[in-house]
Amino acid sequence: MLLPRLLLGRLMPAVGRTYWLTEPCRIRREDNSVRIERPDGSPVRIPITDIRDLVVFDHVDVNTSALSLLSRNGVTVHILDHYGNHAGHFSPAESMSSATVVRRQVEITADEEQRLAVARSLVLATAENLRWALDTDLLDSALEALKGALPECRSNDAIMGQEGNFRRTAWAVLDSRLPPWLRMNGRTRRPPTNAGNAFVSYLNALVYARVLTALRSTPLHPAIGFLHADTDRRRNTLALDLAEPFKPLFAERLLRRAASQKHLKESDFETDVGRASLSKDGRKKIAALVREELATTVHHRGLKRKVSYEELMHLEALKVVRFCLEGTPYKPFRPWW
Amino acid sequence: MSPDSGLPADDESAVGGVHIKYLVHCPRQLWLYARGYRPEQRSDLVAFGEVVDDTTFTRRRDVDLGEAKIDWVTTGAVVHETKSSRAPAPGHTAQVRHYCLLLERRGVNVRGGVVHYPLIRRTTDVAWDDDARAEAEDTEAQAQAVIAASTAPDRLLRGKCRGCSYLDYCWGD
Repeated sequence: MLLPRLLLGRLMPAVGRTYWLTEPCRIRREDNSVRIERPDGSPVRIPITDIRDLVVFDHVDVNTSALSLLSRNGVTVHILDHYGNHAGHFSPAESMSSATVVRRQVEITADEEQRLAVARSLVLATAENLRWALDTDLLDSALEALKGALPECRSNDAIMGQEGNFRRTAWAVLDSRLPPWLRMNGRTRRPPTNAGNAFVSYLNALVYARVLTALRSTPLHPAIGFLHADTDRRRNTLALDLAEPFKPLFAERLLRRAASQKHLKESDFETDVGRASLSKDGRKKIAALVREELATTVHHRGLKRKVSYEELMHLEALKVVRFCLEGTPYKPFRPWW
Repeated sequence: MSPDSGLPADDESAVGGVHIKYLVHCPRQLWLYARGYRPEQRSDLVAFGEVVDDTTFTRRRDVDLGEAKIDWVTTGAVVHETKSSRAPAPGHTAQVRHYCLLLERRGVNVRGGVVHYPLIRRTTDVAWDDDARAEAEDTEAQAQAVIAASTAPDRLLRGKCRGCSYLDYCWGD
């Protein structure tokens, strides 16, 4: 029973991994493993303890026994639709929720002043991260305008409106660095109208899914948020809120990088009149791109170790827990490197 | 064993083995644990402790007291506890003393306790007498005081947090 320390991490991944299903497949249970059957090739077997969550990009068949195994082991399944929208998720019956934390979360978000303060700081951090991701000074004046306008905002709608203004300017700047076929020409969704928008939709949905997974490992309730309206379409408003400052890090930055490295091709998208989505190869490319990006590490000074971008989202969720439990002011994520 | 991972007590006011262990290690950890922040599932070390528990003394059975889960009890009422640690720590003996106290309150005539360290093949005996009882009651009172406090106790020095599954929460800013 004496295990060498080095083996420990590999034998018992308490955290588990994210599996990205980019092809049509069937998920079944086989003892305490998950068997993934693809139309071509032999089935893949994955021990359940190795799975933290599944991200589904394509048609997948699941049955009840597989779902109950996933549920018992706390695995979340995220489903993206054809256009990259987050179509929904399956989450385990048991959650880590704690009454004390949720009660505080409700109190804080019910307090107008506190809620708006957090909402403003989220929007400002998002704008600054966007400027950081685009690495430009063309946005300085827009950022100044946003900083001036935010304290005047007295409602979530007003704050979101200011964010919208800033984002339109930022996207115009981003467009000027993209090849014509990848330009966004204004943000469109449901469905995205062109390749650039389809890319951003996919990435945003993925960031949202990652944040939701991170939130589920904390005692917070994902539906009680600060910035987005409670009636927002997906209604896990806290996940939407916390995804905001991370979106530039993934969506806009990766779009810019993929364009400049000529990583994306027109054939990676299926464009129709008025709608666009990723092709099969495009989806695989994006899954690979995001996986690599999530595993990228930076040194964290407080923790004195390297943390991956994925972990940054978990740490972000913990900041909100700290805010609820101890009243430590919540400062949204900003890249420090 | 597995107080580390352990099933939390259903009754929120009761003090269990994990509470005592956390109190001795770091009052802040106990305060957070009592408020429902439970990051143990993400910890490799805790998972390791579970494996050690599952693979040692497999013929013995857990004794479930509700608020605490004793690894096993042998005749004459000796409380046994398995630890995956390689070094005896004050928290381990305090935990066993607490189990003795809980058993005694249920009318069991307790003789003492033993902490097993299967990885280093050592055991530590825990005496159960008037001094030990006083100490156990004192520790329990301390735990209740920490849990009832309205603000969280301060963090320990960074170096003492090594291996703690609460590290991300306390130092992640």
